[in-house]
Amino acid sequence: MGFIYTLRVLIKSILVLILWSKCEGRESEFNYVTCGSLVKLLNTRHNVRLHSHDVKYGSGSGQQSVTGVESADDANSYWRIRGKPDGTCQRGVPIRCGQAVRITHMTTGRNLHTHHFSSPLSNNQEVSAFGENGEGDDLDVWRVQCDGSIWERDEAVRFKHVGTDAFLSVTGEQYGNPIQGQREVHGMSTANQNNYWKAMEGVFILPSQEPLRHHHEEL
Amino acid sequence: LSQTPGCSVGFLKILTPSLIFTSIYRRDFYKILGVSKSASVRDIKKAYRKLALQLHPDRNQDDPTAADKFADLGSAYEVLSDEEKRKQYDAYGEDGLKEGHHGSHNDIFSSFFGDFGFMFGGNRQGQQDRNIPRGNDIVLDLEVTLEEVYSGNFVEVVRNKPVAKEAPGKRKCNCRQEMRTTQLGPGRFQMSQEVVCDECPNIKLVNEERTLEVEIEQGVRDEMEYPFIGEGEPHIDGEPGDLRFRIKVMKHPVFERRGDDLYTNVTISLVEALVGFEMDITHLDGHKVHIVRDKITKPGARVWKKGEGLPNFDNNNIRGSLIVSFDVEFPETQLNDNQKEGVRAILKQASVQKVYNGLQGY
Repeated sequence: MGFIYTLRVLIKSILVLILWSKCEGRESEFNYVTCGSLVKLLNTRHNVRLHSHDVKYGSGSGQQSVTGVESADDANSYWRIRGKPDGTCQRGVPIRCGQAVRITHMTTGRNLHTHHFSSPLSNNQEVSAFGENGEGDDLDVWRVQCDGSIWERDEAVRFKHVGTDAFLSVTGEQYGNPIQGQREVHGMSTANQNNYWKAMEGVFILPSQEPLRHHHEEL
Repeated sequence: LSQTPGCSVGFLKILTPSLIFTSIYRRDFYKILGVSKSASVRDIKKAYRKLALQLHPDRNQDDPTAADKFADLGSAYEVLSDEEKRKQYDAYGEDGLKEGHHGSHNDIFSSFFGDFGFMFGGNRQGQQDRNIPRGNDIVLDLEVTLEEVYSGNFVEVVRNKPVAKEAPGKRKCNCRQEMRTTQLGPGRFQMSQEVVCDECPNIKLVNEERTLEVEIEQGVRDEMEYPFIGEGEPHIDGEPGDLRFRIKVMKHPVFERRGDDLYTNVTISLVEALVGFEMDITHLDGHKVHIVRDKITKPGARVWKKGEGLPNFDNNNIRGSLIVSFDVEFPETQLNDNQKEGVRAILKQASVQKVYNGLQGY
């Protein structure tokens, strides 16, 4: 009697487990970062997310500052991955390793940008957010460096600037007020553990089917 | 079989008969969605999305059958949108489907509208009264092609977002500045500012992932937004913000949009301009627009094709027009004297040579 009871409980539990796992809602199998997607980028060495806001540098170029923040729920840490201005990046197509992209800040519409100015805390190369409505200039373009052929969401990648060859990096220097605790983000010429970034939260666009090519529906 | 938490297996709902939908395993899913048997997945998604907003029980509080109709709609979508399940259904009917429906209808609904999407139409009603803090909104520019505006399309996205979950312990919340009075001695007081916090259950942020479906509706206009309620950034002390897709219609190499009308240009040869021609223009969905001219076509002439424009967003059955403007390409090689004589003889057009200010409309 006790044995059959245990067996029934066991079978019921297994069934519950099977049904429950199916009830999770569709788990996504799509693991790539695609053109047009919105992402938060986490620096894997210092555990901060790439961030910008309407605060300008007090030195260097005086352009909008780019920092690293610890919080995970700030909308100012969202960036959109777009192609170069010549429009070769189709919505939903996975970004290839080595592909040149622009990284546009969602809330301010400015592009991740670097140039020959010194960063305020560490004297590396200043990284700013530049442009209006997603349009800036040639120094807005970065090349995604990764092993393999496609930028995978689980993978830490590097961003190498097209123009100055600097890697997007964080080395841990912290700002004081008014952006207390935020880290300096800068460009540096050497590839090392400080320039690895991983796509975290975001909205990842999947490739679409071509809209139906069919004859006119009855009018 | 016991009910699994968070996964409604609508057995009870199947047993309740209702007027429009037949009971117990005999439901016509195609009829429920209002689509033909040969409908594409895109048509099915489009039909579900339209009906889900109409039939949601919160919107039909006076209708006692609303919950059943809504559940039937969810089941219909679940089966017809899945290739395997649809095949089984087509062959064997509802009886032939494997035991139980595993997806919760709430899951399906929220993939089209967001977690709080039942606050229909994207309006957060009553939000202002309660003063609940809200997380940030996320706005994503969604680039669409003119082909998609013409035929419609669905874009699937994967939303990975931080979700506030309860954690062990307490945290400080509602921190505010308060004035405190401390007594230093008889009759002597000091007022100072102090930060005072309440205690709240501890919250940690956990990343969760789900698929969302954004519809690019036919005739959609630039800057239109599709909100997904509750899919924005979380707020530790309140509700999450929204995720809004903002449509950006891209330029097209052949067609230019003005409202519901489409404009295009065609270059014809001088011969064709004079003697007439016949041609096809390939439209956004591949069908051909036929143009026949047997009269002289002047440079700048326009052919107006009614019904060949874009579908109107509010009523897809109304279409704008396609306006074709012609320009003429003159021959490159110069004419010799004989040919010039020939042209004069054929055309018999007197010399004109009218001088006027063309820039001011004279």
